[in-house]
Amino acid sequence: MKRRDFLKLGVSALVASQLPRNLFGQAGQPLVSVCTGTDYAAVTRKVITALGGMRAFVKPGNTVVVKPNMGWDRKPEYAANTHPLVVKTIVEECLASGARKVKVFDNTCTDARRSYENCGIPAALKGMKNVDVRFVENDRFRKTALNGRFLKDWPLYDDALKADVLINVPIAKHHGLTGLTLGLKNMMGIMGDNRGYIHRGIEDALSDVNSVVKSHLVVIDATRILTDHGPQGGDLKDVKVLNTVIASRDIVAADAYATTLFGMKPQDISTTVTAYKRGLGEMDVKKMRVLSFRF
Amino acid sequence: MRLPASRISQLLFLALFLFLFIITDYRGKDEITVAVNSFFRANPLVLASYVLAVKGFTFLLLPALLLTIFTVVLGRFFCGWICPLGTLIDLVTQRIPKSTPIRFLKGSFKYYLLFTLLVTALFSVNISGILDPIAILIRALTLVFYPLVGYVARAGWSGLYQVAGEGRDNVAFLYDFLRYYILPFRETFYPLAFLSLAIFLFVLILERFERRNWCRNICPLGTLLGLLGRFSLFRRLPTTICKDCGDCRSHCPSAFDEEILQADNCIRCMQCRTRCRFARVQFPLRWKRPFLSATGGQRQPVMSKRMFLASVASGFFLSRAFSFRHPEKDHRLLRPPGVRSEDDFLKKCVRCGECMKVCLRSALYPDLTRAGVTGLFMPVIIPRLGYCEYNCTLCGQVCPTGAIPRLPLEQKRKSVIGTAVIDKNTCLPYAKKLNCLVCEEHCPIPEKAIRFETMDDIDRQGRKVTLKRPYIVDNLCNGCGICENKCPLEGRSAVEVFAGKKG
Repeated sequence: MKRRDFLKLGVSALVASQLPRNLFGQAGQPLVSVCTGTDYAAVTRKVITALGGMRAFVKPGNTVVVKPNMGWDRKPEYAANTHPLVVKTIVEECLASGARKVKVFDNTCTDARRSYENCGIPAALKGMKNVDVRFVENDRFRKTALNGRFLKDWPLYDDALKADVLINVPIAKHHGLTGLTLGLKNMMGIMGDNRGYIHRGIEDALSDVNSVVKSHLVVIDATRILTDHGPQGGDLKDVKVLNTVIASRDIVAADAYATTLFGMKPQDISTTVTAYKRGLGEMDVKKMRVLSFRF
Repeated sequence: MRLPASRISQLLFLALFLFLFIITDYRGKDEITVAVNSFFRANPLVLASYVLAVKGFTFLLLPALLLTIFTVVLGRFFCGWICPLGTLIDLVTQRIPKSTPIRFLKGSFKYYLLFTLLVTALFSVNISGILDPIAILIRALTLVFYPLVGYVARAGWSGLYQVAGEGRDNVAFLYDFLRYYILPFRETFYPLAFLSLAIFLFVLILERFERRNWCRNICPLGTLLGLLGRFSLFRRLPTTICKDCGDCRSHCPSAFDEEILQADNCIRCMQCRTRCRFARVQFPLRWKRPFLSATGGQRQPVMSKRMFLASVASGFFLSRAFSFRHPEKDHRLLRPPGVRSEDDFLKKCVRCGECMKVCLRSALYPDLTRAGVTGLFMPVIIPRLGYCEYNCTLCGQVCPTGAIPRLPLEQKRKSVIGTAVIDKNTCLPYAKKLNCLVCEEHCPIPEKAIRFETMDDIDRQGRKVTLKRPYIVDNLCNGCGICENKCPLEGRSAVEVFAGKKG
């Protein structure tokens, strides 16, 4: 390749990557699937099927990272961590689609052992073949160039960077600083080091990370949501049972739709707004194609 | 060579000790059923100093009472059959060439030492744990060797990743086994590691002079057991080295000084009986007066009035002379959850280091001077290194004397370690007009002991900003320290836990 060609390619790639995604015709209307019902496994399966099924995301032989929120030493009913059944169903679907390996982890906020134990997710996945539930190991973080607006680089978890498919499975809950924590913020779980640092520029920082590490599929667990004292909660009074799961390829759309479940508007959540402005996805619920199901 | 029963017992107890040491950890259960604290709960020295200091009894120490009774009947068998430090000494001593015994230690030094420790306890300062052999061993393991083993294994595993990348996962099962069953979960280095190691090595280096030097001449637990053992119904005969043989000189690990049996130092290991060529050695059931006058070749060390009075004086001196506490350090004297009063803690804490071993988040560290010299090795929380996990009650479960009380979870969550204080000079929303709230996010209290007020402001660049400024709700804060631990400022945290006044 000549130097001129190389430059051309580089520049055009750079320009293309900076264009908002909704300029490209078909991608304009993101699909969001929503399902409500008390059988969480069926509900989770339904929202994925509505997006074309797990086979649309996971190809045989793929290594898949399923990144739930299991950051807190809280039992599932307290709505601080993703529901184990939602995670288990997604993992099963990945395996059924031929995934070679499914890795499930989170860089926890409270003690890793207690969080893993009490969130119920490792217990739900116990004994499943080709499923790795391991604690995060410090030596697996790789300093990764982000060249973002707030973060130039940051140590990110190698497993997430190397995965063929990344499935982001947050729980929808209240958060003091950002109002709500959803898919965009769940990606903090692949960040190492003193990640509290990014709170001082959280909107751009999250967009920086999510621009580089894309979630191929976002499944938001709103089977029960935490309406106050998040993200850790601890009081069942703050928990509202909605029996709902949301899925989308578009992380901003998924977050924006989930916001409405709290009776809030997507534009109230600054992290969503920034991600939208930076072209990570659609935040206007009217511009989404929402497929609703109810069991 | 046939192993005598005592040696088999020693090895079994050493294995049990190490096993209990390793399982003194969080293993996915909120409760720990057995822990290495058993070795303290059955420890008469711990019992004696607890009873003298607290002027009361605790059922936690019932096993120690039983061991006391057994010792009165059987003699000082603990040292020859059970004590893991004694076993380690026996294992290394053959490789250490001996010079001559230290004469200074041959008087009544050990009695003087033991009584001084006990009198100090009587004056409400319980420092016998500093020289308790089991505590010396556990501290050496917890603070030095265990972290070191973890470090080496982890560094090796890390290095393998640099070389083999994800290919390392093929042997992950090996490492996983080590990691889940043997290695410490977290890499932690402790202050006073050097001192703990030095004391431990000192005990071993004493073997340069004679066998079981520590045990026969210094160890306060051994001395106490020896005194109790004087009442024993079983004593070795003959009480001197036989002129025609003298093998006991090399068989006996502890009891013969020159030609004469020191009854206090006979650890009932039965080596002499098992190996006697003439089947002369006996341990007949026979009552004898426990305290003999220093005649008739029975050179029992003197339990003189003078020694006793001197111990009282030095014990009193010890209990008060080192109690100076710097007020500047008092506010960071953060004791484990549930410890209500510093005085009470000083009476009960064995300084065994088990709480530090078990602490889930490696929040507890041995202290050097915060509580005065008499607080040596007692646990303090250093929140910047580790905080007290909201749902964990492990330290109270393993504490052998209840110095850290065993509390139900609800009560432990509410027991106050200290109170968090925000430094507005460094806290970002105040000092730099930047949002942060990491502390509020992590506060585990369901109603949040850290809350925030939202206000509009103009930042340093002249832009309008909405700031969320944290503040502490004092009566909800339990001082767990997670806020101080997670504060993202480099170096000093903008929120720090200060010890409150303890009742």
